[in-house]
Amino acid sequence: MKRALICLLALCLLGASALAEPVDLDLTALSGTVVYSQVYNMTQDPAAFEGMVVKLKGNLSYFKDPDTGKEYFAAVIADAAACCAQGIEFVWAGEHAFPDDYPPLDTEVTVVGTFGTYEEYGYTYLQLTDAEVTWEGV
Amino acid sequence: MIETFLQYWQFPFVRYALAVGTLIALCSSLLGVTLVLKRFSFIGDGLSHVAFGATAIAGVLRIGGDMLFVMPVTVLCAILLLRTGRGAKVKGDAAVAMVSVGALAIGYLLLNLFSSSTNLSGDVCATLFGSTSILTLQQSEVWLCAGLSVAVVALFILFYNRLFAVTFDEDFARAVGTGVERYNLLIAVVVAVIIVLAMNLVGSLLISALIIFPALSAMRLFRSFKGVTICSAALSVACALAGMLIAIVGGTPVGSTIVAVDIAAFIVCAAIEHFRK
Repeated sequence: MKRALICLLALCLLGASALAEPVDLDLTALSGTVVYSQVYNMTQDPAAFEGMVVKLKGNLSYFKDPDTGKEYFAAVIADAAACCAQGIEFVWAGEHAFPDDYPPLDTEVTVVGTFGTYEEYGYTYLQLTDAEVTWEGV
Repeated sequence: MIETFLQYWQFPFVRYALAVGTLIALCSSLLGVTLVLKRFSFIGDGLSHVAFGATAIAGVLRIGGDMLFVMPVTVLCAILLLRTGRGAKVKGDAAVAMVSVGALAIGYLLLNLFSSSTNLSGDVCATLFGSTSILTLQQSEVWLCAGLSVAVVALFILFYNRLFAVTFDEDFARAVGTGVERYNLLIAVVVAVIIVLAMNLVGSLLISALIIFPALSAMRLFRSFKGVTICSAALSVACALAGMLIAIVGGTPVGSTIVAVDIAAFIVCAAIEHFRK
């Protein structure tokens, strides 16, 4: 009985780890200088990162298009000199309303999502879709 | 520590940065000795501001591959500045200062008036202080930097004896038939190339440090031209590598970290010289 319970527990743990999406590119483990550079390189050659599950930390930024009413959320990463910043837009999975479900603007958020691009107004934009968003205290 | 470094080594841009940074540091230190001995230490600063102005013009005119525009402009100004000694109405340090502040002001003015960028202060800061430029090089830029660096080192080795003669005693070099004007022109062109390359590494405001500090540090330890040149090259490469590694692992700005390491090396060399006496 004891053995059967241990086997069941082991199977549950294995199943849970298989269900959790593996992160292909974890930017939270890198120094600020390298994170900024990596994000810059992602903006320069997005095709090389298409479909990757990316984890990053950045400051929450929000923009609402006054014409269409569409809302945009991004995690903004500053360089070490604090003069340049790169932002990656994300789309939080599920139904979430701003500002109730989101932390205050400029809060450091951790985002895990699938990297991709989309076209709008003739420009190519980068985004993390199907994203999980967490921040301190959550 | 080694584990952390190996983690960063997997990123191609980190490998590019270390390779290009080492080459730029080597080139700048070689010519640094000549410039310091010829009392042209400040010319690097002046030319770097010219390069900033040229970068601003290239940005406003939307010239793709701005190095192709910045390089000739900087070379031209280097030739004009190094030739101001004879028959010029504005001479020496006054000419350098005039070109330096003039180019800086015009560059910033043009960026303010005509830039289409949404992050003007960021663009200016990145150009002046390098920001992470060395870590955001594209492969074509890496090859261009590597090619130009190899050309500079090759020229220095090839003309070492004549540069030595022109550096120490122009009149004597002229008397023994060395084409002093030609070699001064060569120095001007090479300095301009180094300035444009080094803008990627430390930004235009910090380039002078890359040229001057290794040479001055080496002069604390050695007395011969050859000894100073070799020591300066070794110190410059070591400081650039150490600075880049600290910046990459510690998340500090690359350019200022390299210069801070150069300053530390100078203090150590000065202390060694002091205790030797």
